[in-house]
Amino acid sequence: MSLASQRTTAVPVAETETGIVPREPSRWSLKHPRSRLAWIRPAIWLPLVVMLALLGGLWQWGTARMPYLLPPLSAVGETLSRNPGYYLRNAGITLEESLLGLAMSFVAAFLLAVVMSEAPLVRRAVMPIAVVLNVTPLVAIAPALVVAFGFGSAPKLIITALICFFPILINTAVGLRSVPQPVLQVYKTMNASRLEMLVHLRVPNALPYLFAALRIVTPLSVIGAVVAELSASGSTGGLGTVISNASSMNQLAVVYAAIGVLAVMGSALMLVITVIERRALHWHESSADRT
Amino acid sequence: MQQQAPRAAAIELSSVRRVYGFDSSATVALSGADLRIEPGRFVSLIGPSGCGKSTVLRLVSGLEEPDAGSVLVHGMTPAEACAAKLIGFVPQTPALLPWLSVLRNVTLPQKINPRAGRRRAAGSASPDMRELLRKAGLGEAMDKLPAQLSGGMQQRAAIVRAFGLRPEVLLMDEPFSALDEFTRESLQDQLLDLWDELKTTVLFVTHSVSEAVRLSDTVVVMAPKPGRVVDVVDIDLPRPRGERLFEERDFHAYEDLIRDRLRSAWRSTDAATVGGTNR
Repeated sequence: MSLASQRTTAVPVAETETGIVPREPSRWSLKHPRSRLAWIRPAIWLPLVVMLALLGGLWQWGTARMPYLLPPLSAVGETLSRNPGYYLRNAGITLEESLLGLAMSFVAAFLLAVVMSEAPLVRRAVMPIAVVLNVTPLVAIAPALVVAFGFGSAPKLIITALICFFPILINTAVGLRSVPQPVLQVYKTMNASRLEMLVHLRVPNALPYLFAALRIVTPLSVIGAVVAELSASGSTGGLGTVISNASSMNQLAVVYAAIGVLAVMGSALMLVITVIERRALHWHESSADRT
Repeated sequence: MQQQAPRAAAIELSSVRRVYGFDSSATVALSGADLRIEPGRFVSLIGPSGCGKSTVLRLVSGLEEPDAGSVLVHGMTPAEACAAKLIGFVPQTPALLPWLSVLRNVTLPQKINPRAGRRRAAGSASPDMRELLRKAGLGEAMDKLPAQLSGGMQQRAAIVRAFGLRPEVLLMDEPFSALDEFTRESLQDQLLDLWDELKTTVLFVTHSVSEAVRLSDTVVVMAPKPGRVVDVVDIDLPRPRGERLFEERDFHAYEDLIRDRLRSAWRSTDAATVGGTNR
């Protein structure tokens, strides 16, 4: 008994000798929560299925009682299957607006964050404004932008880009500046140039912050595009236009079909971001314990 | 008898003064510090917190400037020495880049500031980092990320990174203080092995008397309030200094000597502050 306990106390020593932290259990084991095979276990999928069934039942019950509150799910399914091209085309327009707006604001916010991290004067001038604008509901200026820029794609892109801009700017600026002091000291004694520090230390260090911003901003970009479409009634297309036209004609099934397509679109975008993030941030602890 | 001009010391501090803060809240981190370290020596700075040992390191590495006096590294200012990549720095934490493998972590410094590399002598070509990592017992960990290694291995990688620059002067700021005793001793062994091969000047800050005695040619004893050098003790023990050293009487005699010096430095500090309040 005492021998056994001595053995166990000897383990940490052996471990520091090899020094390698033991690997987590295989990703193909059923027990591992991140394993792809884990979905076979009912404990993983059953709760969601039960929840969906409950919600569907509740929906149908509500429909039967109050037809003006919700359309029957079957009607939503019917309009989707009858006109898939109509929804796809409009989804494409909304997707293009939100992705283009997101890309524009990504480039602009990233570049400004780099300038801010290198020039404290610019940071002091810009950061307070950025923080205030970040908590302002910027969608509220959508109607004003429609007045200014008309029914084309310009106000939609501007709104989407504006909404996405400040979270990206603030997060990237923080990430660029939060390289640990000792790391900076090591590279300062090699007389690393500011460009070298930026490329090798600051930008990689900012990546987790940048992806955190993208997770916030991707759904926002879809919201921005839809809100702009809603406020510009009479636009040529987009799911927001579909919703506002259909609701003015009491076509609830079409409204909810469009909302459903938006939800699927948003989820697909988040999935893309997650996949890219896993690739880019495989080294980061956030990707080690995400379920 | 006139001798030829003495060779430039690896590190030379002459009456250096460094003060933090202003007026009444000012702390004298270093006052009238003189120190001359010959090339190829292993020198430890030891003393209680606040005695200015880390300040000495920051001054030598050019991260701070003295308020008075001068700091020279091989006859150059610290800034010039950094520009020529003569200085290696090992901080208290490993400070590895978490997104790079161990191998890429230790090779990145060679790509930094490439003009300094060309300015240096052709003989000091950059060493084979794989070989150096293998020597430090990191052969199998080369392609792993820092987070997959233990603290001791990470610190070893940080030391290899600094040695990989073939620095003329290696500055180490309590590099082993966060490690357990077992890991600490094995890292001391490996540090001595690497130093034996590359023979750079080392300035090593530590809290530990036995660590200082084991590693160093010279131990510099410092005292706080104001931070100053109170004693310089040459350690005359044979090298290589393996684990046997801990059993030798001379080793313990040196330990006792340095403890004694540290204690009397403390006492003189107390006396000075008491005398100050009386006046």
